[in-house]
Amino acid sequence: MMDIVVAFLGGAVALGYLVAGVFFLKFWRKTRDRLFLAFGIAFGLLSVNQILAMAIDAGDENVVYAYLLRVLGFVLILVAIADKNMSVRR
Amino acid sequence: MDAFRFFLFGLAALTSIGCMWLLFRGYFRSGVRLLFWTALCFVFLSVNNVALFIDTIMLPTQVDLRLLRSAAALAGIACLLYAFIWESE
Amino acid sequence: MNDRNDDADFSDAFCAFLQSCVGSVNAAELLLFLWRKPSAVWCARDLAAAIDPVGSMSETEALPYLDIFAARGLISRMDDGRVSYRFSDDVDAHVQTLARLYLERPVTLFRVIYALRDAKIKTLADAFRIWRT
Repeated sequence: MMDIVVAFLGGAVALGYLVAGVFFLKFWRKTRDRLFLAFGIAFGLLSVNQILAMAIDAGDENVVYAYLLRVLGFVLILVAIADKNMSVRR
Repeated sequence: MDAFRFFLFGLAALTSIGCMWLLFRGYFRSGVRLLFWTALCFVFLSVNNVALFIDTIMLPTQVDLRLLRSAAALAGIACLLYAFIWESE
Repeated sequence: MNDRNDDADFSDAFCAFLQSCVGSVNAAELLLFLWRKPSAVWCARDLAAAIDPVGSMSETEALPYLDIFAARGLISRMDDGRVSYRFSDDVDAHVQTLARLYLERPVTLFRVIYALRDAKIKTLADAFRIWRT
């Protein structure tokens, strides 16, 4: 039962990440702020990661690799924040 | 490799906590509700990341936090989508 | 948009009016058209067609703007859905300013309209600046 609930929630989360990513891309198109582009891609990665993690149904060996895309997404967010703070003000 | 994974997953958790802090700070300065709900999203994503860190790195066989992680992520995304739909314009 | 703070034409009150009521250039043109003919009563289709020489707009595009104007008290709506400009002291001054700037400083006006519309999103991006100068 728990597996079914987790899978259901995971599917909802994957779709939610994807929709959030689309919103970020819309904000990027409006403002041309690279931060939103990075967030859009990052949330896309979170979505793909969520789907892969469920598809792999990872055991102990692979569970960490299943989440590397997620880590990549957050690293991208970190890079975007650093870029925001280092870029020259208009 | 374990240290590398520890670092990466810890970095993800710290990033989401950092985003949460910046957004709450921005909300208290500007009063823009979009920032509040986005910050709340990162509260839940931080819970999700910390739980993932515990679940996969610290206590991989002792605990199963999948339900907590999924619920936290879903709550976070719900806050974010509410913010983008109702508070962004 | 720091320059906006020093520009007498774009006072805080006028910018608040723009952000609340005029979310696009089309909305501005629609409002000004109604303002120039305050005694006329229009249905959305005729209004969109009449505006056409100024800027192309369909009835479907005009309706959301009219809904916002009605909600803000800028226009009166009849039972049959037709609309006309509604004069009010506090808002008419802003509409006059809008009309003047539309003729005298259209580029600046359009930039301000779209900057205000995206102000919340820009605040979201600015929240990630760690050090404020």
